[in-house]
Amino acid sequence: MKVLRGTVLTLVVAVMLLPVYAMFALSSASDASDLGGLTFDASQLGAHVAQLFGQGGFPLYLRNSLILSLGIAVLEVILSAAAGYALAQLRFPGSRALFAVIVGTLSLSPVVVLVPMYLIVKALGWIDTFQGMIVPFMMSAFGVFLVRQFALALPRELLLSARVDGASELRIFARIGVPLLRPALLTLFLLQFLAQWDNLLWPLIVANDPGLWPLPVGLSQLQTEYDFSIGLVSTAALITAVPPLALMFLLQRYYVAGLTLGGVRK
Amino acid sequence: MTLSPALAPRVARVSGQGQRWAEARTGALLSLPAALYFLLFWVVPFVSAVYLSFTSYDLAGAPEWTGLDNYRRMLEDPGFWNSARVTAVYTAGSVVPSIVLALAIAVPLSKPGRYNAFLRALVMIPAAMPLVATSLTWSVIFAEDGLANALIGLAGAEPKPWLTDEGLALWALVIMTTWKHLGLFVIILTAGLQGLPLSVFEAAGLDGAGPVRIFFRITLPLLRRTLLFVLVIAVVGAMQSFVPAFLLTKGGPAGATEVLPLYMWATGFTFERMGYASAIAMVLLVAMLALSVAQFRVLRGGDDG
Repeated sequence: MKVLRGTVLTLVVAVMLLPVYAMFALSSASDASDLGGLTFDASQLGAHVAQLFGQGGFPLYLRNSLILSLGIAVLEVILSAAAGYALAQLRFPGSRALFAVIVGTLSLSPVVVLVPMYLIVKALGWIDTFQGMIVPFMMSAFGVFLVRQFALALPRELLLSARVDGASELRIFARIGVPLLRPALLTLFLLQFLAQWDNLLWPLIVANDPGLWPLPVGLSQLQTEYDFSIGLVSTAALITAVPPLALMFLLQRYYVAGLTLGGVRK
Repeated sequence: MTLSPALAPRVARVSGQGQRWAEARTGALLSLPAALYFLLFWVVPFVSAVYLSFTSYDLAGAPEWTGLDNYRRMLEDPGFWNSARVTAVYTAGSVVPSIVLALAIAVPLSKPGRYNAFLRALVMIPAAMPLVATSLTWSVIFAEDGLANALIGLAGAEPKPWLTDEGLALWALVIMTTWKHLGLFVIILTAGLQGLPLSVFEAAGLDGAGPVRIFFRITLPLLRRTLLFVLVIAVVGAMQSFVPAFLLTKGGPAGATEVLPLYMWATGFTFERMGYASAIAMVLLVAMLALSVAQFRVLRGGDDG
């Protein structure tokens, strides 16, 4: 029974991973003649990688994606840490209103506010700039909410004893709060990096200049740029998948923690 | 908490007036960026979207108040109704099979097993891959001489024009989306299953209940909270999904895959009808909220609390 279950599970997972393998195989396809075949040719893959980095916009898209994803993920971690800690541990005027706004925002989709967000960025003169792509998504209601939930559970004795010792509130946040919040902040960094690495819609709207395109926008145009060589486009897709997969395996614990948050009875 | 008597005066000081002022100042300082950010990029846009949905606005000049015109026009707009239907089929078509399949995988995978931790890591791979990369790969898989047709060819079926046939293109999107979300749901459900109290299952086993009975009578009811979470993120995620339809089919052929977010995007950013696009966004928002609330009602129905 147990052996049978293991075998069936392994088979199911293997079928699930077939498209992932197809991406590998296709990235080594020399032309469009063998799309159904699943043979892998490492030398062709090398040639495609060299071609992608040698000409065209690919290296630029990669750089832009790194700037966007790292920029947004880092800002999100810093700003959510500050706001989430304050909302959980400090009493200040307006905190209830701010928390209510953030909880309300949780149910809003970016799709709903897309048009006015574009108009605001346009009014700020931020079309075709990095800040136009970064600032509107540099925080998320989910991020503040996640940090606040985590910060509610910080040991009050520790914070109080730091106050008794005369530490300033800001120092307590930086020296005690932030280190203790690290698991939540790492989870947030990972989820936001992955989300932004994949963000197509917003850069598509605010970046007309190909020099600012991140990978998702660039990749959607690669088909025309390279005369649609399936091997090349698949290689580009493969390279795009490497950073998120590497991060997921390195930070698997935080990835699962972030995904299962709220879904499991505590 | 117990403190030594010698500390009492200092504790009194840190809970006094000066302390409250320091706390309020630091709290305000730390949350000021968040307050400004959510005001400028969420509250103002949301209020504007509601306002714009009652106007006609093409980016030239000022928005012109037209009352309910956008909503009236929507009722008679075949493009809108087509998109609403496509979104409904896409959502139902991808949510139901992905959750059922995820449960079928998660139940055996959550049990202790030698390779299960490894398999759980593998299952996550599709979910962690960028949607853009997977969409491009699937567009090749669904090509005329691609992997999908090679596989059904092995079964003796004729090759199909997956992405160019009006009746098939939406199902190609459904297949890809189901595959993409499967791993995510498996991981969430597995975590939920592992959090269930073992004693209940042992007691049921001693009472002679079979695995099928245990699954329907014990596992599913206990897992309700996790299932609700998965269902809500699946439905809301599918309803606002844009990238697969944009990359695989651009909404075509003949609007067969033009999901609502894509229709809204084209209305606003290709045809610059910002007022009408905002009205579509409002309908999408109301539909997403209504479905979330309905799911809570249905799945929570039997709860005491």
